[in-house]
Amino acid sequence: MTAVDPETRIPDPLDLERLEEDRLRVAAGLAPARQRIGEYAGFEQVGLPDRPPQTEREEQLFTLEEGEMLVNMGPQHPSTHGVMRLLVKVRSEVVTDLDVVLGYLHRGIEKLCENATYTTVLTYVDPMDYMSAMHNEHAPALAFEKLYGIEAPMRAQYIRALVVELNRVFSHGLMMGFLALDMGGLTPILYGFINRDEIVDMLSAISGQRMLFNFFRVGGVNFDVNDEFISRLGSWRSRALATVEDNERILTQNEIFTARTKGLGVLSAKDAISLGVSGPNLRASGVALDIRKAHPYPPYEQLEFDVITQESGDTYARYLQRVAEIKQSIHLIDQIVDRMPHGPVQAQVPGIIRPRPGRAYAAVESPRGLYSVYAISDGGPNPYRFRMRDPSFITLQVMPKLMPGHLIADTMAIMASLDPIMGGVDK
Amino acid sequence: MAHLCRSGTAAAGLGRRRPLTAPAKAGALVRLVLDRLGEDVRDLWTDEDTVEVQIDGARNVEVLRRLRDDQELGFFFLADAAAVDYGPGVRFEVVYHLYSEKHPAWLRVRAHVSREDPHLPTITGLWEGAMFHEREMYDMMGIVFDGNRDLRRIYMSPNYRSFPQRRDFVLPDDAADSSAAGVNPLERPETWDLRRFSETLAPGTGAPAEGPVAAAGLALEAGQTAADKGRPR
Repeated sequence: MTAVDPETRIPDPLDLERLEEDRLRVAAGLAPARQRIGEYAGFEQVGLPDRPPQTEREEQLFTLEEGEMLVNMGPQHPSTHGVMRLLVKVRSEVVTDLDVVLGYLHRGIEKLCENATYTTVLTYVDPMDYMSAMHNEHAPALAFEKLYGIEAPMRAQYIRALVVELNRVFSHGLMMGFLALDMGGLTPILYGFINRDEIVDMLSAISGQRMLFNFFRVGGVNFDVNDEFISRLGSWRSRALATVEDNERILTQNEIFTARTKGLGVLSAKDAISLGVSGPNLRASGVALDIRKAHPYPPYEQLEFDVITQESGDTYARYLQRVAEIKQSIHLIDQIVDRMPHGPVQAQVPGIIRPRPGRAYAAVESPRGLYSVYAISDGGPNPYRFRMRDPSFITLQVMPKLMPGHLIADTMAIMASLDPIMGGVDK
Repeated sequence: MAHLCRSGTAAAGLGRRRPLTAPAKAGALVRLVLDRLGEDVRDLWTDEDTVEVQIDGARNVEVLRRLRDDQELGFFFLADAAAVDYGPGVRFEVVYHLYSEKHPAWLRVRAHVSREDPHLPTITGLWEGAMFHEREMYDMMGIVFDGNRDLRRIYMSPNYRSFPQRRDFVLPDDAADSSAAGVNPLERPETWDLRRFSETLAPGTGAPAEGPVAAAGLALEAGQTAADKGRPR
């Protein structure tokens, strides 16, 4: 493997073998290794697109040295977690550069939401980040309530927190499974899906839908908790911690797993902040930023929990962070159930909501990080501007930083540890 | 589990109405921002948990650097950067949301951008993570960030010829209200040929089509304001 500078994570220019190669080439009267695009370099350039580069960065990406070639991974690659294309520059088995090509799932949800009423917007955002649909509805609901000048009843806030934490548990559980799956381990994903199906059935009992819940309303939630939800929640909760520990036991101490993840794809805290990484990925790098603590939205200021962080910022730390957050979410669910007040679950709002002209920003902590909504009202029945900041979209920027110097098989492990969901990335 | 049982009759006063002009819980932040930014603050407005500052677009890098590097302000995290289109003939706006652990409020920085000449300095030198934000703003709104070394389309294909989140980009659903209903050439804007647009929309009659589709075509060609149909509908 090429030596990698831990600061910049680019192949070390002082790599002796590479310098020796260049020296031999010059001594033999051959062209130097680095050539501009389109110039004859004495070797076949593989994988270059048939159009000129558009930007400085693209030009850098399309400039191949000898032995390098461009390979497309995706858009239908089993490990890309949806339809995403990775344009990978490889030297034999080692990745030297990488570009993320997006847009295969772009539906223009922001534009659609600007042409929908405030209530309808809450249905449009569901299929965005389909692994955390409850979180997708939470931020717009909070933003619209702020615009409209209303607050949901406390019981509704607790029910929101309950379903949101349940959603976080299954999302993180699946991430553990996908991480192992991308490295060749099939078992954890099956356990992850067992757990996920239990929770999804539970959420289906309360909201009526399995995946795209349409459960939140401006000023509350659609339904109160019902008997089926309670019985499913009770039976799941009695086994929840044991299930997590079962799943964890397959991986945490697994020698192959630790050997392949420890020290892989180290993201420093400084880089993570600069690149806008948020959520578990940021906390795994040691930055204690959790929106539930930083800008608490009800009822989180009444719940007791700490911001969990890891130190190393590698793939293994990102995995451990998810495991710790699952356990934390289960404790939060206990607290929510214990403290849930009586009362209505829906504030009185008219059928068509027309907030006063104004602007509102609301952010929630989704399983993938800071998910925020910036909504502008002009007094009409639909938002003038509806902006969503999806965490996995921003997180994908770290990939060209983390991947160079790693083997192709390891890039998939790094990507799974970042846990991007393409529905949210492409909006 | 006791409290999870179904609630009884709904209480009379559903939901708590919150005051529309709640005092910001960051009065200290307002004073600090006014002190540190001085002349750069063109306007200031507060929400219950947001402090909003309006600045000159050309000075965004200097202002954001001061907000990030000042010890007492400490807005180290760029939470969001988004573009807003206030309609043809008005302006664009680029809105930055910043987070600081020293202040219990979001800081929103609004930078005005001319709609005729949408240029703004890039802030990728401050936060590398602004790259995808700026690429998205360029792709969706057509705002050009000077100095950005990777400003290309991120969602749409490289040969796409429109900026879909501008207000004068009309959705096919809106076009269906027009005399051209059923044709829907707007579903493939990259194939638009604006000179032949009216002919294909009203075949046989020879007369140019009327309504929002034709208006959209004209506006995209000449930068006019006809396509903004006014709201609310």
